[in-house]
Amino acid sequence: MNKASSKSKGVVIEPQETRSSEASGDLLRLLVENIKEYAITILDPEGMVTSWSPSAEKIKGYKADEIVGKHFSAFHTPEDVASGKPERELAAAAKDGRYEDETWRVRKDGTRFWANVILTALRDKKGNLLGYGKVTRDLTERKRAEEQIRQQSREILEMATVPVVQVWEGIVLVPLIGVLDSERSQQLMEKLLERITATSSPVALVDITGVPTIDTKTAQHLVETIKAVRFVGADVVLTGVRPAIAQTLVHLGIDLSNVTTRSSLAAGLRVAFGMLHLCVSAESAD
Amino acid sequence: MNLLDEGSVAIVEETDIVTVRQTVREAAGQIGLGVTDVTRVVTAASELARNVFKYGNGGSMTWKLLESEFAKGIELTFQDKGPGIPDIEQALQDGFSTGGGLGMGLPGAKKLMDEMSVDSSPQIGTRVVVRKWRSI
Amino acid sequence: MHRETITVIKVRGVLMVTMPADPDDATISALQEKTLEAMEEYEARGLILDLSRVDTLDSYFARTVTETGKMVNLMGGQTIIAGMRPAVAITATQLGLNLAFIRTALGVDQALDLMSEEHPV
Repeated sequence: MNKASSKSKGVVIEPQETRSSEASGDLLRLLVENIKEYAITILDPEGMVTSWSPSAEKIKGYKADEIVGKHFSAFHTPEDVASGKPERELAAAAKDGRYEDETWRVRKDGTRFWANVILTALRDKKGNLLGYGKVTRDLTERKRAEEQIRQQSREILEMATVPVVQVWEGIVLVPLIGVLDSERSQQLMEKLLERITATSSPVALVDITGVPTIDTKTAQHLVETIKAVRFVGADVVLTGVRPAIAQTLVHLGIDLSNVTTRSSLAAGLRVAFGMLHLCVSAESAD
Repeated sequence: MNLLDEGSVAIVEETDIVTVRQTVREAAGQIGLGVTDVTRVVTAASELARNVFKYGNGGSMTWKLLESEFAKGIELTFQDKGPGIPDIEQALQDGFSTGGGLGMGLPGAKKLMDEMSVDSSPQIGTRVVVRKWRSI
Repeated sequence: MHRETITVIKVRGVLMVTMPADPDDATISALQEKTLEAMEEYEARGLILDLSRVDTLDSYFARTVTETGKMVNLMGGQTIIAGMRPAVAITATQLGLNLAFIRTALGVDQALDLMSEEHPV
């Protein structure tokens, strides 16, 4: 038993006589009663609620007489209860002394809140489990703020990774730099098509000078992009096809035979001018 | 996983395919999907609803909006009253066709969505569940 | 459920059809019949199909469009699809739809230009 108690972690409850004065006990009680941000709950070893702080009432909606004596799984989502999570949490806290989690919890009225939960095993000096201390913090607002920031930074990143510029009336240009993975190529397609339709540009120059290597996936993304551009009624000139890229494309068996390609951006631009000019000359030739 | 909202549409007449598209468009917009992703989900729903109507003796579409720690998502379940698909693997392949269509119903919907599962037997008919997620 | 109607108009020898935003299957098949009848009646040079309002192009709709295009070609005309929206184009690509043999244009204006270049009156 002695060996076990030295091994088992958690808060050790001191016997009454070694505790500080009655007055500091009162102060501790006052602290617990006045803390607003944390719901403080004491559970017995089976997980039944034995003590309930005023802040817990405010955060979770139960009055003390409604929840004391009930199992703490009342705060869990039905999905968590079904998967046996409340029991696993108690077991983890008993084993390691402490269990912490950020998760969805449920208020009395059924609404959910994003909670930081810390469960601490409470043991006497001999290592016997007396129960658990549970501190719960409502982080719903913080989570919403984090989501918003994540969303904003993603939008900024999108702007930076796929810059689409109009270089001439009727011509837009995308200089691609770096690796073209599936997420980026989705952004490329969306931005490019938006700009093409917004500026009524019949020609799009896609410059891959800054793309270090091309694999089958990347090539497929390019082929898809070109196809989508054609669906909205414009055409792509692929520029910056360096010798190494040309070799790779042929070795991979990527068919770009009906796509206009040029090695340099300058050459591609001339083709684009030609395409716009051709429209005019074809009309007068007919 | 949190359930934010749900609803369902019966697929009995051909015009119910339009109702499915409109319902799904509205629901997908609620979880903040971009216009391209909304179009993908609605197009997949249109393919699957037509399958239910044309080859499955009708049935229903149920939608759910889900929220987890990292993502919000839309889940669509299509249940028909048909004879079931004998070979699901084959039905999920490109170009497979049961009713003289383009055979894009199942494989097409699969490409447009993030997840897809198909259950089928002569007793219960065919049930297709698809999901699209938006990371948050 | 109200059914949207398809109107086929003729401009400078070209048929123009604007598809509604969310047509049901019956409206889509009416597109084919009405267009082919009008091709015969007006001896039109071609068909401009304005998809700028369409927000869902599924395989049934796409197949009807390509079939109609082929039929119009057989009757001696050209078909141009105009104004497909970016989101619709991306979805169509991913779905593997093929609009081969059909020309596309950014809008009805550009489609009319194309038609005059290639099939002058």
